Amino acid sequence: MIEIKNLVKSFGDNEVLKGITETIHDNEVVCVIGPSGSGKSTFLRCINLLEKPTSGEIYLDGKLIEEKTINETRARMGMVFQQFNLFPHKSVMDNLTLAPMKVKNMSKADAEKKAQELLEKVGLGDRGSSFPAELSGGQQQRVAIARALAMDPEIMLFDEPTSALDPEMVGEVLEVMKDLAAQGMTMVIVTHEMGFAREAADRVFFMDQGYVMEQGTPDEVFGNPQNERTKSFLSKVL
Amino acid sequence: MDYLTGIVTAAHGIGMTLYVTACAILIGIVIGLVMALFKMSHNIILKIISNVYIEVVRGTPLFVQILIFAYGIPYLVTQVSGGSVSFNWKPIVIVGVLACGLNSGAYLAEIIRSGIQAVNKGQEEASRSLGLSSGQTMRYVILPQAFRIILPAMANEFVTLIKETSILSYIGIVEITREGMLWAARDFKSFPAYIGVAIVYMCLTIPLSRLVAYMEKRMDPAAPKTKKRKPGI
Repeated sequence: MIEIKNLVKSFGDNEVLKGITETIHDNEVVCVIGPSGSGKSTFLRCINLLEKPTSGEIYLDGKLIEEKTINETRARMGMVFQQFNLFPHKSVMDNLTLAPMKVKNMSKADAEKKAQELLEKVGLGDRGSSFPAELSGGQQQRVAIARALAMDPEIMLFDEPTSALDPEMVGEVLEVMKDLAAQGMTMVIVTHEMGFAREAADRVFFMDQGYVMEQGTPDEVFGNPQNERTKSFLSKVL
Repeated sequence: MDYLTGIVTAAHGIGMTLYVTACAILIGIVIGLVMALFKMSHNIILKIISNVYIEVVRGTPLFVQILIFAYGIPYLVTQVSGGSVSFNWKPIVIVGVLACGLNSGAYLAEIIRSGIQAVNKGQEEASRSLGLSSGQTMRYVILPQAFRIILPAMANEFVTLIKETSILSYIGIVEITREGMLWAARDFKSFPAYIGVAIVYMCLTIPLSRLVAYMEKRMDPAAPKTKKRKPGI
């Protein structure tokens, strides 16, 4: 369970998050939607301290997320980026085994066995020896998801995972994410894929101007939005 | 015929030149890496140390640095010890290795720093998000990529250093240039002697530059290492 209390983040004079208090429960899939610049990505990146909150606290299972213990915390939270950020100098297999071997001291054989299972799960079982540059964007993003899963995370954070993909590759990545959601993974997903949010999310956050303006089940937010900003945003994107 | 003798004579010094250059580069890489990390650290004292080091080394001629090492330090040791210790560099080649190593360390520090900073920020974030520490991230993710980026610049430094070690001839290290000088002094054939020296240097530097260009191409992370396959689904 992630508890976010009064989260504020400023970049210089620019206050991007203006006080967010939310709870994300275990096995919950939360999709964060909203216009560009509304603070969605910053919100997500604050959860694993890639951005340091200006004020406010975030708790993971009741324990404060802080710099001192951040490596252990991050090992429990996978993150998937818009730009994939695979390690270009390592093979797909080595991308998956690096963190388990170095952070969890897993043996090479065990790490590779697990990596192979995960690659098969995302439909890339035959690509272990490839390098990231040899893969399509959709394949790279699936590898990135598998890499995050290799650490056996309890929570997965997705930062616009399909925004950098060619349209015909979006589906394959969303498919993998849906599988993950169906298996009960706790997920926080910043996305512009409204169809996906509607279908896969348990709850939807609509963010604008640094606030969570509205939140609820997909049916509530998409079907019967209460907030004026939500209404005008959805009328433009749907 | 004199020219051939000139080349052959100078070629006797290749071993020493390469030996000094290689040792100096190794020292330089270690110092350069440490100084680059110091310079990027948040610790103000480490920052100052690396800045002073880099400024001093880059702000003074290598020749002067070599003189300070070769003659200044033995004098200083003798003075400080009140004459009870007479210190000499033995063999003198140590001076060449140390001075050149410390010198190239300053230049390599800037090269390495630029390489580290050229690695996409997302790489560090991805690595840290997996739970790797900043040290592990540097070692397994950033540095291997930075190394590829700076390989040409580092090799240039190596080629530059091969040529710069020629001034070690002044302190009596018998490398390529010194061999030529000795022969010129013996037989008064200055022109063939120094043309021979020049040709020998070119024989070292040109293939090296080519080799680097080849390695650069091969190590390009974007260039596939395995046979290119059709992108699947």
